[in-house]
Amino acid sequence: MHHITHTWRHLRRSPFQSLIAIMTMTVSFFILTMFIFVNSGLNSVLNYFNTKPEITIFLKDGLDKATLESAQAEIAAIPEIREVRFVSKEKALELYKDLNKNNPLLTEMVTASILPASFEVSAYNPKVLEAVAQKFTAKANLVDEIVYQKDLIESLMGWTSMLKKVAIVVITFFGIVAFFVTSVVIGLKITNRKDEISTSRLLGASLFYVKKPFLIEGIIYGLVGSTVGYLITFILQASFKNKLNTFFSPAIFVTSDPLYYIQWFVVELFIGFIVGLTTSFVVSKRYIKW
Amino acid sequence: MEIKFDGVSKNYGPISAIKDLSFTVKQGDFVFITGPSGSGKSTIIKLILNQIKPSSGQIEVNGVTPKTQQEIDDNRRKIGVIFQDFQMINDLTVEENIALNLDIVDYPNDQRLVAIDNALKKMKLQNRRYLFPMQLSGGELQRACLARALAISPQLILADEPTGNLDPINAWNLVKYLKQENELRGTTIIMTTHHTDIVKSLNKKVIKLEKNS
Repeated sequence: MHHITHTWRHLRRSPFQSLIAIMTMTVSFFILTMFIFVNSGLNSVLNYFNTKPEITIFLKDGLDKATLESAQAEIAAIPEIREVRFVSKEKALELYKDLNKNNPLLTEMVTASILPASFEVSAYNPKVLEAVAQKFTAKANLVDEIVYQKDLIESLMGWTSMLKKVAIVVITFFGIVAFFVTSVVIGLKITNRKDEISTSRLLGASLFYVKKPFLIEGIIYGLVGSTVGYLITFILQASFKNKLNTFFSPAIFVTSDPLYYIQWFVVELFIGFIVGLTTSFVVSKRYIKW
Repeated sequence: MEIKFDGVSKNYGPISAIKDLSFTVKQGDFVFITGPSGSGKSTIIKLILNQIKPSSGQIEVNGVTPKTQQEIDDNRRKIGVIFQDFQMINDLTVEENIALNLDIVDYPNDQRLVAIDNALKKMKLQNRRYLFPMQLSGGELQRACLARALAISPQLILADEPTGNLDPINAWNLVKYLKQENELRGTTIIMTTHHTDIVKSLNKKVIKLEKNS
């Protein structure tokens, strides 16, 4: 209890120094949380498209029913194909109208005859889709165009990978800044309390006893910094949740799972605790030797 | 607590502070260390506290020469110190200063308040309890320092020139408190002073140092 009082006194006597340390920690944890959330969001979008591998085979006009059924059966026979759906010209018009229902100008001139019929193919394994695409590209008399999400997935994977690299560099940089700023602040406080430490040592206080308030102070910086940094990012994300989810629709970029948020909060608290403790431990070991 | 100096010398570079000093202070003794300025009185106090190491010779505390930091800390926790410059912590009240010392020596929690009350009462500082050291007079500060030392019920009190900054009345009062502590609780007292009248009138053991001894 005495050490907590002691630490509180340290914080109170030099509030601006403490504030700088907490703010630096906060900025670092804000950036860390932001990367975590963005990375999770991109991964969730990526997973969505990965778990729903799909290609659309647009068909040429004028194909008879037997040809269509034979082509559908041929696709369905390929292993690991989940579903083959035939979308007729009429159904395509329905989908088109539904998609553009708020823009009558785009729908009034369109008829079923100008839209192609298609097969929507989904598979358990995205690699199968590539084989399907290659196989049907060769059937020029049957197929008009093939569209599948490989490009989108590759682009998303590229973004996620780049984000991870940037995150490592930025977080390392801000981690180092937080370490040095907190070190300087705690170092200054130790220097300011040199006489008090020296008197306590002469009265029989162990090295650990005189270091303890500074260790607690470092832990407080870490815990408060991580909590505030996390909360700021959480609030920001919550305010943009609808916009982000609409943008990435039908995938979900911002999850509503409370467990996800609690889990990351606990992880960041732990990181804050370790960073604060390590910083204050290193500094107090360096400055308190007598 | 018994202190034994055996052929102890302490040099600060080319300057010899004490040279080949031997003496024994037994449990319950009241010993004055006298001598002119620069004769090494404060050096002896620092050596007992292990604040500095002897250049040669041995210092035993209760028959053992403390070697590890743990042993040094353990010994310090049995000693009540009255520093020449008080060394009270300025942003703690008198009560908090005493409480800090009790915490350092790991005094039983449930007895701390009683120990503080008793020490303040003995030193007639009850009404100065919540004041900061800067708000006390020289005499009060010295008594607060003694209260901090007494509160932990030490085995040994080291008083380094405790009367140096005091007027004759306060100086006598302080010595009276130390004598009382020595007689009532059998606490060993080592006090450095250059007030010869105090030394003479108390008729206790004296270690007399000479400059460049």
